[in-house]
Amino acid sequence: MRELDTNKANTWCSGCGNFGIINAVKKAIHDLNAKEVGTDDIVITAGIGCHGKIFDYLNLSGIYGLHGRALATAQGIKLANPDLKIISFGGDGDSLGEGLEHTLFAAKRNMDITLILHNNGNYGLTTGQFSPLSFQGYKGLSTPFGSIEKPFDAVPLLIEAGATFVARAYSARIDHLCEMIVKAVQHKGFSFVEVLQPCVAYNNTYQLFNQKVKHLEIVPDKLSQALTLARSTEDIYIGIFHQETRAVYHELLYQDANPYRQRKSAAERREHKA
Amino acid sequence: MSENIYTILIGGRAGEGIKKAAQVIAGLLCQAGKQVYQADDYQSLIRGGHNFSTVSSSDETVYAAYQDADLIICFDHRSVEEHAGFLKPGGVLFCNSDESDLEDGAGIPMTSIMKKHYPEGSNIGIVAIAIFCAHHSIHQYIMRNTIKQQFKRNIAENIAFADEIYELVIKKSSEPMDHPFDHQYRFLSGNQAIGLGAYYAGLDFYFAYPMTPASSLLHYLALKKESLGIYAIHAESELAAINMAIGSAVAGCRSAVGSSGGGFALMQEAFSMAGIVEAPLLCVLTSRPGPATGVSTYTAQEDLWFAINQGHGEFPRVVASPDCHERAFSLAAELLSLAWEVQTPAILLTEKQLSEDMRNLHLDQTSLPEASCLMDNCSKDYKRYAITESGISPLQFPQDCPESVVKWNSHEHFETGLRTDAAGAMIAMKDKRNRKNAVLEKATRKYQRVAVYGNGENVIFAYGSTVMELREALKYTDSGFRIVAPIYLEPFPFEELKEYEGKAAIVVEHSSTGQFARFLQWKLKLQTKRNILKYDGRAFDPIKLANLLEEAIHA
Repeated sequence: MRELDTNKANTWCSGCGNFGIINAVKKAIHDLNAKEVGTDDIVITAGIGCHGKIFDYLNLSGIYGLHGRALATAQGIKLANPDLKIISFGGDGDSLGEGLEHTLFAAKRNMDITLILHNNGNYGLTTGQFSPLSFQGYKGLSTPFGSIEKPFDAVPLLIEAGATFVARAYSARIDHLCEMIVKAVQHKGFSFVEVLQPCVAYNNTYQLFNQKVKHLEIVPDKLSQALTLARSTEDIYIGIFHQETRAVYHELLYQDANPYRQRKSAAERREHKA
Repeated sequence: MSENIYTILIGGRAGEGIKKAAQVIAGLLCQAGKQVYQADDYQSLIRGGHNFSTVSSSDETVYAAYQDADLIICFDHRSVEEHAGFLKPGGVLFCNSDESDLEDGAGIPMTSIMKKHYPEGSNIGIVAIAIFCAHHSIHQYIMRNTIKQQFKRNIAENIAFADEIYELVIKKSSEPMDHPFDHQYRFLSGNQAIGLGAYYAGLDFYFAYPMTPASSLLHYLALKKESLGIYAIHAESELAAINMAIGSAVAGCRSAVGSSGGGFALMQEAFSMAGIVEAPLLCVLTSRPGPATGVSTYTAQEDLWFAINQGHGEFPRVVASPDCHERAFSLAAELLSLAWEVQTPAILLTEKQLSEDMRNLHLDQTSLPEASCLMDNCSKDYKRYAITESGISPLQFPQDCPESVVKWNSHEHFETGLRTDAAGAMIAMKDKRNRKNAVLEKATRKYQRVAVYGNGENVIFAYGSTVMELREALKYTDSGFRIVAPIYLEPFPFEELKEYEGKAAIVVEHSSTGQFARFLQWKLKLQTKRNILKYDGRAFDPIKLANLLEEAIHA
């Protein structure tokens, strides 16, 4: 088993929810190894923001891309070599702000990729401005009088967009988060895990989540029920909200081909009269 | 002096199948052994308006469409108004007598006859094919076979309609075309040539969002999925397209993107990322008049400086522009290959004119380069950005080498691909990337970087499609001209051009501010004797361009 740590000094704030996420990811990779997903088969992508630093702290192959574009690069990798398991990390601003279109389209296509959304409810690295998921009234440097916009609700949004595995977890409940990540990676299709992640600097939600988070015991069998549970603010549910089987994009495009492994050389192409 | 150019023009409303009819006629001319050039003039609308296609042919290669026509076929009155004045002496104009009366033209009630033959639908384009065949006494079975092959729907109606028109016109047939109609030909647009060239060099994926005039490259490759085994993906945006392309390169596939100026403006952030992550990427930038939406279906060369300066930050890139369709084919292969050799993005800069205009071509794939890269031999402590003398770091792809970690990074980084802000590491990595400029300069020398046509005293500089217009125009002048056409623009092929340093030359281009002239002044201290500019979105008529050149040297 490969050592998953790098020699990169960690610069997340002490107490940051990202620590819970990285620990759960490492644990999940151990578990996946036992389920015949090799560490070499896993490729990661990340956007820009506090979440993105996870790229530096995990000794895994991949690309640290641009703000919002982690899922676009992830889709290119998956299409080129569908044998790879792609885990894409995104922040709430990253994946649902500047990268919203890529997130919705990856779900629409049912790309066989996992998106782990670090939802800290603000833009941490750029000093705490409001994000697409910040609650109405959130006060940040760009909304000093409180955000006047209604936030997106990530779980219902991704279900509607077509994601075939949609879950929520909490960064302080590492075992549950780990279980969600393992199931998401093993799911064939677009899997989405929203991780409630307290930001100790600008949006410290530990107390709120510790009081309100409740586990879903079973996957709701009706979509309407899943949406109601996902939108609940009395209790904040974590667990799998939706899971279904649907054809994945790369198989609809080229069945069981592997464009990278089956590349035709120029010599073979020259023989071919196009 | 070229005496034997034959031009046919078909005009009508959008949606009447004008381009298709022109292509079928061009195909017949190719089969008859002619050299053929087709240009389509259309507007950004689906129905109505005014469209026309021009097919010019000759026994020798034709590099542009001519305005003056031997045969004009008009489906509507507006086409008559627009083009009747360009009928050559001795030429014939066929008009639709249901829509216009014309004393000097041959009137045919095209719409009424068509309505007789089609209980549902219509296909007025058939008229043009039938008139062309009858006008030249081409045997009726050749016409019928061609129509059957080219139009898969309403076969019986099409044939009956064509037969009636043919029989009307054959009575006045004046110019028999006595040819065996057995020549093999390949009639391709510049975009199709680009797609094929990239395919032969190893292209696996093409990612794009539709934008004229790049869309036809997307369409062509999408259609060729089965036969070529490559994938054309219509992404949600240009941003997605280029990021996906970079992703597929990370996993080892050869990828390209394409768009026009507006789409490339969106792609800039990821073009810049390709620079820092050192992603091999072929970018096809096919220009139309700007700024912004501009004039979407016409031609221009306004994006030269944009291409040279594409992306923010400093990093090596290649920019080159094909001067003809054959070069579009070979250059696409060269640029994909250079991108992989040097691990940096390459731009194939072209224009609507070359992208969409069609010619019959002989393409030789045997001499095209293959897009390959320097591979690492699976070293366990692999470093994606290993600092090397050339600046080129050997590549590994995921899953190839167990134990290795391959980290690409858009933030400044160490050799391992882990990010850094450290001053020393920044300098080391920037220097590494900049060293690739020298490699590029050397690598491009493998290919023809400058084309020269003619050996006259009067030097004309041009690039891109404009070179084709000039080659055609020079058929109409006895003055000694020499066209000097840089194909590679970045790195600039100074060696091949130093004899022109500080000299005076005519510069011809499709821009309103003389971008190319300024570029040459910057790179070569070239003095502009006369800057012939055209910026109405239309190509030069060869004869008019010849006159402008004569004026320029006698000024």
